[in-house]
Amino acid sequence: MKIVACYNIKGGIGKTAAAVNLAYLAAHEGARTLVWDLDPQGAASFYFRIKPKVKKGSKGLLTGKKTLEDAIKGTDYSNLDLIPADFSYRNLDLQLDEIKKSDTRIRKLLKPLAGDYDFIFLDCPPSISLVSENTLIAADAVIVPTIPTTLSLRTLDQIVDFCKKLDIDHAKIITFFSMADSRKKLHKQIVENPPQHVRVLNTSIPYASDVERMGVYRQPVPVFAGNSRAAKAYQALWKEIKTILT
Amino acid sequence: MKSLHNAQFVLAQQTDSDAIFTLLQQEFALYETDHTRLKRHYLDSFDWRMYRRNYVCTWHETASKRTKSRDGIFFIHDKKTGSSICELPLNSVPRFSKDVNHQTYRKLLDDVLGIRALMTVAVLTVKRKQLLILNEEHKTLVLLQVEHYAIQKPSDSKQPAGRLIVCPVRGYEKVFKRVMQLITGQLKLPRVHETLLDEVLAITGQAPDSGKSAVNCGLKRSFNTWEAERILLQQLFGVMQINEPGLREAIDTEFLHDYRVAVRRVRSMLGQIKHVLPDNLLTYFKREFSWLGSVTTPTRDLDMYLLKFDGYVQSLPKELQQHLEKFRLFLQRHWKIEHARLCRVLDSKRYRKLAGEWQKLLTNVDMPLLEEPSQQGQAQEIVNAAKPASIVARQRIWKLYKRILKEGGSITPQSHDEDLHELRKSCKKFRYLIEFFQAYYSGKSIKKLLKTLKQLQDNLGDFQDLCVQIGQLNGFAEQMQQEGLADTRTIMAMGVLVEKLNERKMALRAEFGRRFESFTQPENKAAFVEALQVQQLEGVTE
Repeated sequence: MKIVACYNIKGGIGKTAAAVNLAYLAAHEGARTLVWDLDPQGAASFYFRIKPKVKKGSKGLLTGKKTLEDAIKGTDYSNLDLIPADFSYRNLDLQLDEIKKSDTRIRKLLKPLAGDYDFIFLDCPPSISLVSENTLIAADAVIVPTIPTTLSLRTLDQIVDFCKKLDIDHAKIITFFSMADSRKKLHKQIVENPPQHVRVLNTSIPYASDVERMGVYRQPVPVFAGNSRAAKAYQALWKEIKTILT
Repeated sequence: MKSLHNAQFVLAQQTDSDAIFTLLQQEFALYETDHTRLKRHYLDSFDWRMYRRNYVCTWHETASKRTKSRDGIFFIHDKKTGSSICELPLNSVPRFSKDVNHQTYRKLLDDVLGIRALMTVAVLTVKRKQLLILNEEHKTLVLLQVEHYAIQKPSDSKQPAGRLIVCPVRGYEKVFKRVMQLITGQLKLPRVHETLLDEVLAITGQAPDSGKSAVNCGLKRSFNTWEAERILLQQLFGVMQINEPGLREAIDTEFLHDYRVAVRRVRSMLGQIKHVLPDNLLTYFKREFSWLGSVTTPTRDLDMYLLKFDGYVQSLPKELQQHLEKFRLFLQRHWKIEHARLCRVLDSKRYRKLAGEWQKLLTNVDMPLLEEPSQQGQAQEIVNAAKPASIVARQRIWKLYKRILKEGGSITPQSHDEDLHELRKSCKKFRYLIEFFQAYYSGKSIKKLLKTLKQLQDNLGDFQDLCVQIGQLNGFAEQMQQEGLADTRTIMAMGVLVEKLNERKMALRAEFGRRFESFTQPENKAAFVEALQVQQLEGVTE
């Protein structure tokens, strides 16, 4: 089982879109795949048409009154399950803080699922918090979508520093350019000259209306626009990530 | 991933998807898909290994008119619950576990199939309509499939009954329960009693028989030697016949292996149970079966190299591993040549004559007992034919046992490899006879002896294989050079391989003493003497 965390401090940069599309592609190839929507906004749950509701909420999951397994819902796609978001996840930080070994709790919760899934994608909330710390520790790979702008690169540096402080293996951090607009000179320049201190994948996800339309269709891009530029980019991205993971 | 149990119902002729739709739409929002057609290939090994382990393996092929493409999906289902264990896109029917590019499923197949191949055992055309039960967010909560089937065999007029398959979605069990209530309560559809595969096999007249290559003796105590031998030889001939098509098609290497084992057992029987057939017949069949054994050897040898090839590669230092690939190509090329040659042999007049004569002998119940021996000499030739099989077999088995003790006991660290080979052959003959006539001995003692015998045979077998391989590898290297297939690095890699095989050979040789000692332990010998009731054997003394 490989755990892939899709993470960034910033919101609205294609984090959930990446988690949903990559998970769909993994499942479509036959890998047993789970997405855990950890973001209380519940965008991943929305894309899969699953209500953002977990019985007994986050506290139930953390205290073991409700096992993670019981919260799993089947999606409309073969080999792909989801643990939905819940509004109570907004307090996840505080709840984690109250328990022992609070930084490794998510890893412990996921452990029993090791035999059931090949990939678990964590769609993380945009913040620096105990939840992020947990997901970064649990993950085999931390995928950081980054918009090719100066400010986003600055955020990337902050994430790298944060991981360093947590003593997280630098090799786990993998970034790719998201919402890349080839018409913009700055985007083009940054994509052509990516930062050297962190692993940047060759594939960029374009700024494309098909990605935005995921919210209209409530489906992963390859389902409703299989031949689109965006779908092909996600396929190429998954191929790169898979090679690193296996 | 937790797999959920689906529920399957028999569709009565008057019940169609419309009736189900009408019923369910009273409570649920539904979406009905168009009819789709798919071809379902049921897959299993020749000896039904998947079926016997309660797996149903299928490969579905759907044709898309729009994209003019064909997509395939490979499934493994639990035979008892119908739940899906594996759903994997695959563009062609997988043959071996290595064709499945998913670690978990590949391991599952590997554990069950070993080196056996998957073959298509039945093909079904499925006409399917799907009903999706949706919530207000248009999320599927339960999936219903209405399926009608046609077995792809033109002569079959009977077809399996259609089925309604209700598939739950994880996390929405309440809706599934309600749907089940409606279907059983209102439509009163009966549940299916057997898997669709079982139904298909019943119609096509196939039986998942695991013992196709086994000899199931079933000898009576009252049998004379000819009666017992005829039954055993008939069974062995049956094994040869059922393996022949798979051997020709090269479905997997076990067909040739089982065929050769049957031939070897026939030879053992002819050679060991003496004075049953007249000399002229015996000489002819011994010669011809020996020929059959030898013409199948080159293909089997190459099979063995190819089966062990990945292990060979792994045994080499990393930097040399890639250089062995040319050797693989060489083996594959020569395998094709040898296999084609073998198929020509099986089509030859000589083989057809042998098969015909053999069949004629085995179908003649009275041969050779009713033949009036005109001369004293001829009577001697078949002197054992009318004697009780249990006595004749026991005498021979005891003799072979003593031979093994003698041959094995005289082996020293200085003995030639040939001596171990001779012992190996004696052990094989001994083992075959015990297996043929097992009905005549008490089970437990023999089983214990067979266990230690098998360990000894494994040692001797592996040792002999290595002797042959080391000898052949040097010849292959020369041949490859002549054929322009080998460069210096390939030859070097093969040289290192020979060294590795030599090391293994030495280790096996060192192990021999311990294995033989275990076989000859006094308690094993005592158990064997007891099982064989040696003291009662006329003319046999310990």
